[in-house]
Amino acid sequence: MQRKLSFEHTPPLSIPLRFFLTAPLFGVLAGLLLLWYGPQALTGRWSPLTLALTHLLTLGLLTMSMTGALIQLLQVVVGIEVPRVRLTAAIVHGALLLGTCALTSGFLFSAAILLQLALVFLPVALLWLLGACLIGMWRVKADNVTFAAMRLALVALCLTAGLGAVTTSALMGLVALPLVQLTNLHVAWGLLGWVGLLVIGVAYQVVPMFLVTQVYPLPVTRYLAKCLFGILIFWSALNLLPSVMWHSLSSVLSVLVVAALAIFAAVTMGLLWQRKRRVPDSSILFWYLSMGSLLAGCAIWLVGTVRPELAEMPSFALVLGVLFIVGFGYSVINGMLYKIVPFLIWYHLQSRLTDIGMKAPNIRKIIPEHAAGRQFYAHLFVLFLMVPAAIFPDQLARLAGAMFVASSLWLWINLLRALMFYRAALIK
Amino acid sequence: MSNLIKLDVCGLEPPEPMERVLDALSTLAAEDRLCMLIDREPRPLYPILERNNFGYETKARVDYLFEILIWHKQ
Repeated sequence: MQRKLSFEHTPPLSIPLRFFLTAPLFGVLAGLLLLWYGPQALTGRWSPLTLALTHLLTLGLLTMSMTGALIQLLQVVVGIEVPRVRLTAAIVHGALLLGTCALTSGFLFSAAILLQLALVFLPVALLWLLGACLIGMWRVKADNVTFAAMRLALVALCLTAGLGAVTTSALMGLVALPLVQLTNLHVAWGLLGWVGLLVIGVAYQVVPMFLVTQVYPLPVTRYLAKCLFGILIFWSALNLLPSVMWHSLSSVLSVLVVAALAIFAAVTMGLLWQRKRRVPDSSILFWYLSMGSLLAGCAIWLVGTVRPELAEMPSFALVLGVLFIVGFGYSVINGMLYKIVPFLIWYHLQSRLTDIGMKAPNIRKIIPEHAAGRQFYAHLFVLFLMVPAAIFPDQLARLAGAMFVASSLWLWINLLRALMFYRAALIK
Repeated sequence: MSNLIKLDVCGLEPPEPMERVLDALSTLAAEDRLCMLIDREPRPLYPILERNNFGYETKARVDYLFEILIWHKQ
């Protein structure tokens, strides 16, 4: 059958794809860093090498792909068009790329000039993104749970970036501030606020849509993101207070944060478990792995709250970091890229082919299930190596690094093949 | 005489709902209307409908499903 309907004018495919194709390359760089420096890269959260590794993952991998997804989903889910989308994508992508490279190499080589460069590029990227999204959001009145969580996630990103800039300045000795508290706040807002809230908000939309589950229960979509955000605000305020008496209340709030995240993970796993369509789908496996890692991270965090002597060990923060960044964040992004990228390519192909009355090819041909499925097991193996490597870096760090390179490169090749499929289909 | 054609795309993974509605609209007679039932609001569909001179009306149901009534604009 021919299709006669012409599609809307959509922003070029290159806008989201530039973010999605750059992100796995930062995963490759992170793996190379771990492979090259071995156990030195996993000595503790304050080591410059560990800081470089962490920011390659959080900024280069997670924030890069989440920014691409945010720009795309704002339009598709809420109907918000980011103003001057081509210019915004070019500036945000370029500044985030340069800023991440400057920051991580600044940590790696202890070069103040590179850290100062990062303090220019990263605020440009994040403030431009924030400004463009806020203008778009200002223009549209939307009553949508994903939209509400995205707004909170953007506020969290802003706080993370501000705290990161202050922490970097404190590290460089430009300002005298309590480094430990600042870093804790920066990490909490980055991982739980920015990554956590955005994943939660996006999940409300994409889990029922792409993974064909029931919708999330109403109390979860209505209150969970707001509660998590509110608890983080109170927790941050208490952590800035010097008095010891507030610390027990701070522990209670930590438990509430854990509870909110655990509810999200458990509800998501429940929805995935109850889905009626039982076709093989590697994205489901990525989601299970992500939610399982989140639950494991929550359990370990609780253990650290009950037994503070364990939380003092350098490997404790590293294990938590691996579970949140690689297990929770990277897994969910890897899985969603296998849904979002084929859909975008199908949509743009259909849009171009409709003009000549043709149908786009079957979406399952764009990234074949076997290619995504095999890469899932490589990613699973990465996580199985990374968690023990955080405890026994001498034995496992290099092996984990090599596997990290292989898995991230594999993801990148799968995404690149999807792009080549698009070009080949257009030529045909 | 005009017909109301029903199209249930609940529980289908993207892009199948879009494919089905585009196929249905390709053959929709001038006097007929299409009623699409879907489990989320199909925002990417709206600009396509507008560009191709279709009118539409969206109704959010209490069971969280959406009914989209589509017709040819005269």
